[in-house]
Amino acid sequence: MNTQTAHITVVVDAAHRPAIDALTHRLRAEGMQVEQVLRRLGTVTGTIPEDRLPALERIEGVASVERERRYRLPPPDEPVQ
Amino acid sequence: MIDPDRRDGTTPPRRGPDQPPETTGRYVVVFAQEVPDLATVLRSAGMTEVVTAREAREAGDALGADALVFPTLHVAVVSGDANRMAALRTPSEGPNTVLSVSPELVHHIRPDVPADYVTGYRDGVVDLSERLLARPAPGAEPGQPAPPPPYYRDDDKFTWGLNAVQASTSPYSGKGVRVAVLDTGFDLQHPDFAGRTVSSQSFIPGETAQDGHGHGTHCVGTSCGPRTPAEGRGYGVAHEAEIYAGKVLSNEGSGTDAQVLAGIEWALENKCAVISMSLGSDEPQVSPAYTVVGQRALEQGALIVAAAGNNASRVQGEVGFVGVPANSPYIMATGALTQQLDIAFFSARSLPVRGGHVDLAAPGWQVYSSWPMPERHNTISGTSMATPHVAGVAALWAEATGFRGRDLWSVLAQESYRLLAPSADVGSGLPLAPQ
Repeated sequence: MNTQTAHITVVVDAAHRPAIDALTHRLRAEGMQVEQVLRRLGTVTGTIPEDRLPALERIEGVASVERERRYRLPPPDEPVQ
Repeated sequence: MIDPDRRDGTTPPRRGPDQPPETTGRYVVVFAQEVPDLATVLRSAGMTEVVTAREAREAGDALGADALVFPTLHVAVVSGDANRMAALRTPSEGPNTVLSVSPELVHHIRPDVPADYVTGYRDGVVDLSERLLARPAPGAEPGQPAPPPPYYRDDDKFTWGLNAVQASTSPYSGKGVRVAVLDTGFDLQHPDFAGRTVSSQSFIPGETAQDGHGHGTHCVGTSCGPRTPAEGRGYGVAHEAEIYAGKVLSNEGSGTDAQVLAGIEWALENKCAVISMSLGSDEPQVSPAYTVVGQRALEQGALIVAAAGNNASRVQGEVGFVGVPANSPYIMATGALTQQLDIAFFSARSLPVRGGHVDLAAPGWQVYSSWPMPERHNTISGTSMATPHVAGVAALWAEATGFRGRDLWSVLAQESYRLLAPSADVGSGLPLAPQ
């Protein structure tokens, strides 16, 4: 089966930030491939199969899940940057 | 035409702009905070009937008192003539305890007359237009910045942007303040930055922090570059700030949320007071992640300033909108101004949702700054160029006041120069450097 993979940013709510490692463990258990945990911001980024996304949002301590976006600048010789 | 004076017999006559304000004959006296006992000071100035606000409330009125004291405010409303006021202002002995004495004014609910409001608004706009268009007056007060010119220009000494935000005359330099610029990195060998404290970190796998695009070097230059470089005009607002160049955009100018967030985390770890992010995505929805991230950054003493976006094309009637991450309520969105302090044609208008407002606007047209060698300098435009102006001014205020986070946001907005352009485009206006 060919499942699409989503790149996501998970924000941990204030109450669960002190125990962000435990929450990250739960995210992994739900199928997330965790790439980065940022403690001061309380965010976890990584990838997950599309069909597992809804389960993530239901985890207690997850404040939000959103798809990662890419930023792009114009080429260096553009007059408006 | 309806005359509001005849609507209600007790309505006082409308006062035009040339009539003096209505007063009661009493005076509002403001005392210094150190004065322990206002009643004693007032009695020694000849007032016999001194009551506090609480006593007056309990008694039902205070109209017979010589002085009504508001102890928490350290203010009193007093009756008296010029001699008594003079005795209060400058006591014959002891320290001067009074900060100000002014006539007690009578205030009224404003009459509901749209025509008056509109003419008053028109007069205000005409007055401001005339002042902005007026020639600079000769002999400006020493220590005060010169009145604004008809339009700003680069000169031999400074970029027009430095003049517009009054960084060129500021005694502050950002010394001791850490400014993070999250962008395409920085030309770490740039000669204009010899002797500066520069920390750098790449968050782009496979690339170093060395800037292979130019954008990052330009933004570091505007926010933190030199005031008196060896070659050419000064172009940096916070010219002694400690620079933290985080590469969150590749040499091709591309980066992801994960990379940007990592850059913000790094800036917080390094106690940066200001984080400048000249990047954005044209999405008309507020990102929950950047809402929380902006708030957590503020709580940890870092003010994030981001570009409002270049998705407008105003000559063609497109006003654009503030995208992510600038549209977070906790991240400052910066619009771009021209040399006439008009909104630039590409500068995005506020997104009409919570957080989506443009907060401030700064020079973003034909901005001269550093560029990777061998070019050394370059002149480009964008809300990307306006953003580091705000970041630099924020660093100066951080140095001048010691404020961080929300307090720093507050003082920046407060000390902005209100513009004729609508606030949907420029927010509170052009932030000015502390003088």
